Amino acid sequence: MHENIILQHEIEQWLYKESELLDQLNFDGWYELLSEEISYTMPLRINQMEKSKPDYSEATLLFDDDSTTLKLRIDRMKTDMAWAELPPSRTRRNVSNVKIKEVSENEVAVHSNLLLYRSRSTDTTADLISGERKDVLRKENGDWKLVSRWFLADQTSLGTRNLAIFV
Amino acid sequence: MTTTSTKQVPRLDEMTRSELIQYLKDTVKPEEGLIPSYIFSHPKVYELEMEKIFLKDWLFVAHKSEIPNIGDFVTREMGGQSVIVTHGADGEIHVLLNVCTHRGMKLCRMDNGNQKNFTCPYHGFNFKNTGDLIGIPFQKVVYGETMDKSKMGLKEIRHDVYADLIFATLNSEAVSLEDFLGDIKWYLDLAFNRAEMEVVGLPQKWNVDGTWKLGSDNTISDSYHTLVSHGSIAKLGLVPTGDYSKYGYQIYTGNGHGLNLGMPNPDGFAFPESLIDEYKERLNEDQYDILKQMKNMIVCVSPNIMILISSMDLKGQKISHTSLRIWKPTGPDSMEISSWMLVEKNATEEWKRLSEQAFTLTFGASGIFEQDDTENFTDITQNSKSPYHLQENIVFNYTMGMHQKPVEDFVGPGIVYKDKFNEANSRAFFRNWLDQITAE
Ligand code: FES
Ligand SMILES: [Fe+2]
Repeated sequence: MHENIILQHEIEQWLYKESELLDQLNFDGWYELLSEEISYTMPLRINQMEKSKPDYSEATLLFDDDSTTLKLRIDRMKTDMAWAELPPSRTRRNVSNVKIKEVSENEVAVHSNLLLYRSRSTDTTADLISGERKDVLRKENGDWKLVSRWFLADQTSLGTRNLAIFV
Repeated sequence: MTTTSTKQVPRLDEMTRSELIQYLKDTVKPEEGLIPSYIFSHPKVYELEMEKIFLKDWLFVAHKSEIPNIGDFVTREMGGQSVIVTHGADGEIHVLLNVCTHRGMKLCRMDNGNQKNFTCPYHGFNFKNTGDLIGIPFQKVVYGETMDKSKMGLKEIRHDVYADLIFATLNSEAVSLEDFLGDIKWYLDLAFNRAEMEVVGLPQKWNVDGTWKLGSDNTISDSYHTLVSHGSIAKLGLVPTGDYSKYGYQIYTGNGHGLNLGMPNPDGFAFPESLIDEYKERLNEDQYDILKQMKNMIVCVSPNIMILISSMDLKGQKISHTSLRIWKPTGPDSMEISSWMLVEKNATEEWKRLSEQAFTLTFGASGIFEQDDTENFTDITQNSKSPYHLQENIVFNYTMGMHQKPVEDFVGPGIVYKDKFNEANSRAFFRNWLDQITAE
């Protein structure tokens, strides 16, 4: 029991730390939290007829990234021509309902909710991206690294002008 | 002391229909390259567009590969109207108004699925996937002999197919799809008839506070913005720097349709080598020759379709991807983008996978090309809402390339300019747009 509480605390703190880095636009710092083997995907939410089938499609991915392409996205942001985030959006990532689903020797599977507030440019209305994360973290050289992130948004048609931000 | 200006803000909302049309004719001057700002967001202009363009033109609703089996359906929107596109029990494609003929409930509220029948959530009228009404709860009791079910089927929307693209129109008097598309078909062949193509998954959708017109305008003529808007991509070395996006042709084929064809391709053939036989079989010699040299192709089918073939180097491999999107108007100053990714059905799984990844990385909702375009669309639209733009008649400059002459030696149809840095296609697009919205 005691071990579980410590693990829960550790993982929650890791998720908060991650949010903080992203909200503060510290993308290099964020990249360091990722395993080289990272798989970073975002399937498409759909209104699905048959209840037996999931209400999302993994045939269509809104993010379909690995460490190479995530690095590209970050390097792009550092150029002075990444207009989509110039000036950068103000974001607040609220992570909650953190549930550890599986623990193996050096890996944990953790599910959580993400409520991402995005204020863009001079907009007086803000964009909200709400959804469900399924992550796998792995201990690499004593540090937790993100091996896989799967994020499913709640909207079928996203209420934001682009996904120039990480989820 | 107060300052009074002698200038009046034209009150478009107080004009009669014919005054408004005259005002548009007086202020929009495509041939002179003068496009006034107010057209990008004025509600009165939007009203005309909805009525005279979106209720009149052929609009894209689905690709045949999305409904391969009997019973398959997708729901789509056209001209502000929800429709169900079905592969009916009779083996035919149907485009059905998604409105119950009893008292107007939206019949189907799913994005896709497979159904023999659709049952209305309100009172339970039951329709076949061909549109026929086949069941009414307690029919005998509630209607006696007075109800003729054969007259109460779902309204079938006129539709036709080209290159597996299903188009529909809310205008029963529209010219045929063949005639509407005209010579753009030659280029649609390159995109969708070069091989058997299939849609991957379902369309991604996202929303932008920008007018649909800026999407089409950017698609039909704007290779010039690549240098700056997409400058970050060149800085990363994913595309060449400098004027690379100039090389190729800008082509206008009529009815508001046109394209920018990027060629030659310094990286060589951008498509799967294993499909060369299929390409050769399905395309004519001239078309295949263009495909061989193609670096990219971006096509606007008016009013609001964009088709893109783009090639790049990803993870040391050259790869191309093909997509189609619509700039769906959701208001005078907003749109929803729906984007379909397509791939050669007979390509290897490995090729398909990389092509999908290249698409998502560059032109999906998170695409590193995509992202920067939506900034332009948003800010131009929002700027244009100021009454100051009307008061001063602020006009934008679309004169680029007016000194150029079309070339005669290109193999494909259309009015063809060598090099893509030109606004000729935008001038032609807005001429077509103006003629449509000011038609009596
Ligand atoms: S509105 Fe559909 S059954 Fe009454
Ligand atoms: Fe662009």
